[in-house]
Amino acid sequence: MAHPLPPGLTQAEVAFVAEMELVTIIPRQRLESIDLLSGKTPVLRPPHRAELPLWLALLLKKQRRANIVPPPWLHPASLTEIILRETKENPEAFSPPPPPPSRAHPREPGRARRLAESDADISPPFQPSCTAAAPAGYLPYHWLEVAEALLAHAGDDMPVPAGEVRSLLRDLVEVRAAKMRSSTSQLEGFGGGLMSLRGVGAMELAESRGFVLGVVDGVRKIGASAEATRREEEEAGGGRHDDDESDDDMGI
Amino acid sequence: MDIDDILRDVDPVIHTIPREKRDLQDLTRAWVAERSAPELLHWPSDGLFERINNSIRRQIEKVEEMTGDMDPKTNFALIVIQTELERFKYLVRSYLRARIAKIDRHTLHYLSSDELRSRLSEMELAYATRHQALLHNHYLSSFLSSFPPGLQNLNDTAGNISMIDTPDLESAVFIRLLRDTLVEGRGVDSDGRLEMEESDIVILRWADAKPLVQLGNAELV
Repeated sequence: MAHPLPPGLTQAEVAFVAEMELVTIIPRQRLESIDLLSGKTPVLRPPHRAELPLWLALLLKKQRRANIVPPPWLHPASLTEIILRETKENPEAFSPPPPPPSRAHPREPGRARRLAESDADISPPFQPSCTAAAPAGYLPYHWLEVAEALLAHAGDDMPVPAGEVRSLLRDLVEVRAAKMRSSTSQLEGFGGGLMSLRGVGAMELAESRGFVLGVVDGVRKIGASAEATRREEEEAGGGRHDDDESDDDMGI
Repeated sequence: MDIDDILRDVDPVIHTIPREKRDLQDLTRAWVAERSAPELLHWPSDGLFERINNSIRRQIEKVEEMTGDMDPKTNFALIVIQTELERFKYLVRSYLRARIAKIDRHTLHYLSSDELRSRLSEMELAYATRHQALLHNHYLSSFLSSFPPGLQNLNDTAGNISMIDTPDLESAVFIRLLRDTLVEGRGVDSDGRLEMEESDIVILRWADAKPLVQLGNAELV
């Protein structure tokens, strides 16, 4: 078999995609711009900050050529606020994703607009949601992967001891995993055609993908004959009063 | 006049995403979509893979040149270039393997109509036809020739049941919306329609999600 995996990304593949997120670093040595396949890297002149993809930032950090600036949402105050929002304010749904980068409208004070029309197609991991300019209090799509990578390799760059951030992250993972599990119980009544999971993270999706898609497909297959009858009735005209007829059709 | 308009007049490049970054984003999106969709998607028609293959080849040549250069300053640049090259090659390989797996599973289906054949690239089409011919010859020589001649057809459509396996187009997928759109989904007990906002993640049947993905209003996740 060329690719024996079922459809959908595995956790390792999700981590691979998450490594393309941009993060801010503070270089410790000068480095010229390198010509990569995805464009030129910015010139590194300490102490000016630069934005690099996570995989390159981790490489530089391991060789002690740079320090990584943790994104604002990873700060304990921001994490505590998010945990509060997840548990108290909105116990059903996940907390909202970060808003896209925008700027104040020059002629209409109080209104913001998108940075450029061509940015409308950017989505994670190409949105700058893990740099030092990202908004605090929102969890980006790849929050778990980026947080784990930064804690593992750049724990000394955190403003507080890494243990504190780690325990807050564990709490957050628990809360959201509980929500994911309870949302699967909603699937049992997956009568409607669609279900929204606004704000869910990449790793959480990857972990529960097999189960959730299995349940949805199973419900669809079990209810296939019921659905077919329902569609035939709707097509034949909704004003039918003869309900007994459908019972006879479904009969043995 | 808006500051943005002034800037755009002076330097039209300033607000557009550079070509290489857009290629990487397209490649990643194509890879994620191909890995998540239950059926084969269209081969990118804007020459994306030709460009990427050429740049990979040029980069490999550059690496070979730099390896011969014993200067310690280029050593680090070499490591970075090689790491990124391996990441790109992994993406391309995984994308091609996902497509070949789908073609293998339902070869006759993808060779059956012109619209489906147009989704394959030329090399994939050649592979599919030759692979199917080989399989057919193998079956013929092993057991098919001993069947009665009326039952020897591998793409038999008589008797209301087609012998060709088709992929299940109604399986569920996750999509992320790129714009605010109206999303309609068919379900067992009722059909749902909701106005969804950007960056919503929705569980949907692939047959309902396909028009959204093709228009560019949503992407597979």
